[in-house]
Amino acid sequence: MELEERREKRDRKMEPMVHLIVFKLGSEEYGIRIEQVKEVTVTPEITRMPKTPKFIKGIANIRGDIIAIMDLEERFNVAPPADVNNLNYYKNTFTLALEASDYTMGLIVREMPQSLTIPVSQIDKTPAFIQDLNINENFIEGIGKINGRLIIVLDILRILTSDEVQQLKMSS
Amino acid sequence: MKSREQEYKEIFIGEALEYYDALNRHISDLEKNPENETLLAEIFRLLHNLKANAKAIGYLPIADLSHKLETAFELIRNKKIAFADETVTVLFDGIDLLGELIHNLDREGYQPQDEPIIRNLDLVVESADKGSKPSERAVEVAKGPKYLNAKNIQLSDLIYIQIKKLDHLLNLVGELIIDRDRIISISKELDHPDLATVSSHLYRLTEDLQFSVMDARLVTIGSLFNKFPRIARDIAVAEKKEIHLDISGQDIQIDRNILQIITDSLLHIMRNAISHGIEPAETRVAAGKPAVGNIKLSAQSDRELVQIRLSDDGKGIDLDDVRRGIVQKGFLPAEAANELRDSEALSYIFEPGFSLAKQITEVSGRGVGLDVVKNAIDSIGGRIRIDSEKGKGTTFTLHLPTSIAVKGALLFEVDNSFYAIPLMHTDSVVALDKDELHEIGGLLVADIKNETITVISLNQFLTASEATMNLGSKAKLQGVVQNIIIVTYNNRKLGLIVDKLYRQQDIVIKPLNKPVDSIEIYGGVTLLGSGKVCLVLDVPALTRYFLTKK
Repeated sequence: MELEERREKRDRKMEPMVHLIVFKLGSEEYGIRIEQVKEVTVTPEITRMPKTPKFIKGIANIRGDIIAIMDLEERFNVAPPADVNNLNYYKNTFTLALEASDYTMGLIVREMPQSLTIPVSQIDKTPAFIQDLNINENFIEGIGKINGRLIIVLDILRILTSDEVQQLKMSS
Repeated sequence: MKSREQEYKEIFIGEALEYYDALNRHISDLEKNPENETLLAEIFRLLHNLKANAKAIGYLPIADLSHKLETAFELIRNKKIAFADETVTVLFDGIDLLGELIHNLDREGYQPQDEPIIRNLDLVVESADKGSKPSERAVEVAKGPKYLNAKNIQLSDLIYIQIKKLDHLLNLVGELIIDRDRIISISKELDHPDLATVSSHLYRLTEDLQFSVMDARLVTIGSLFNKFPRIARDIAVAEKKEIHLDISGQDIQIDRNILQIITDSLLHIMRNAISHGIEPAETRVAAGKPAVGNIKLSAQSDRELVQIRLSDDGKGIDLDDVRRGIVQKGFLPAEAANELRDSEALSYIFEPGFSLAKQITEVSGRGVGLDVVKNAIDSIGGRIRIDSEKGKGTTFTLHLPTSIAVKGALLFEVDNSFYAIPLMHTDSVVALDKDELHEIGGLLVADIKNETITVISLNQFLTASEATMNLGSKAKLQGVVQNIIIVTYNNRKLGLIVDKLYRQQDIVIKPLNKPVDSIEIYGGVTLLGSGKVCLVLDVPALTRYFLTKK
């Protein structure tokens, strides 16, 4: 018995872990691999950027880098859309500066994100029913489970390079 | 500031000293290894370049001496004389003298004691002709005054630097200027005398720094132009044309990266001029023109801009052909094409897919069109313009910024956000009464200085949703007097109604990051002194959107 416990402990130590930044969108918890998060800041002043999809809220200056800011709640349809004419709406929120390949984007979250490490084995590949959700299944890397919490792990590069964002051109 | 001549001289000396060092290295190696042909070839090449450079800049003693040494080494290479005995000494002396001449180039009234060495060099060369051993004749050689033994080691005054490092430096200066402007606006708000003093000092320092960094990146246009005689000759030979190329303005200075970006464009235009512009000799003579076609490549500097002009006296562009092309390629219906002003019709040759070339030749007309040229010029915020007269010739004029980083821009406000348009693309600013605008064909049109110009409300365009947008309705305009910025691109003008006009300001344009870099109407973004983010509108994309789409 004791031996078995110890072995289990050792196995867990050997097991590859994933370090996630976890935040809430709507009522669910989402996670992004920490390598893809450059920093977390209080949402800076956002300047509107016309002719972009609604979920791009504008651009902001984060330490001299000027990046576009995205509202994933709006994109995933998990919360009522923000009042477009009121950028103060984002006053007391946080922004995760994301970076994947050459792509950068700020992601607005309402509560202070947490950091969490979970074993890779605790992340299930996306189940089929996810297709029914508003979220494009491709955006989800898997569903993480730990201590009874369920965390939707997002693939940021896919989100930033998706057709929707890529077609940020004027319809002409 | 140093005169340009002084600068050339320093560059020459820097290079020459490098050659001299390399020569010393190679000749020492050669002494140990007299049969090494690679070394000989390298020495030969260095001497040859040195001769050419010295001749070009007018330092004849250096050119002559290099020539003599070159001749001697050629004889060695051809095994007419051996690199041995006295010959070695004479050649070492010769190269030392070369160094002496280069080092003392700057000294007024310097008289080298070169006769013995020159005489010995001549003896070495003659010995080959006479087949005698040089050592016999050159006994007196060794007795020549040796004044060069006290060699002082000197490092070059010039350094080579990777352009990447200069780019980085320039970016840092750009950031610094943004912060400086911010400090200055804070200082104005706080109104503190000490802060005011230090910020005005900071202002002057950064101006100076920016100027110095930009200056360090400048190269002469000649560094590109001087490649053209050979290129033009090759194209002309391949096309069986006779041309005379006239180049001027090589001294004009421009940012090295801008020159790099326009290199291909200029080459493209040159190919076009020779293969499509200049007619074959017999056609020219029949048309009463001289048999040899003339091409002029010139540069001029005009305040902050550099103007590069390439003109030929060839057959010119037939506007009827252009109009037919516009219709055929489906850009415009026939009536509209016929109504275009000549300059407007000509501007269509920069549209993608528009080509008048009927014959594909070796050097030109392979489907890479002038649109590529135009894109390159646009990307650095320049302008290109074409003028042509059938039978008389064609002229391309490139207006280029001298420096990439800092641009003059006009700031304005639309829907409580700041925007900027580079001055490069602004024509004028006018205030018009609402009554002077007319609703025509879903757009607004105004008569401005006898020109009919399409006018759009940026507020409508930028804020209204696709469904409710109405660019042709005066009812959507606020207030009576409308502030209009007239922008110009590719000979076409467009009026932009803005909510509020601000000032002209130098801005540092940063590119947008992926993925939002693909939105065409934005050329980039800049940070204002207040720390606010300001989008920079891309005039080429805007005019394309409104004027080509119709």
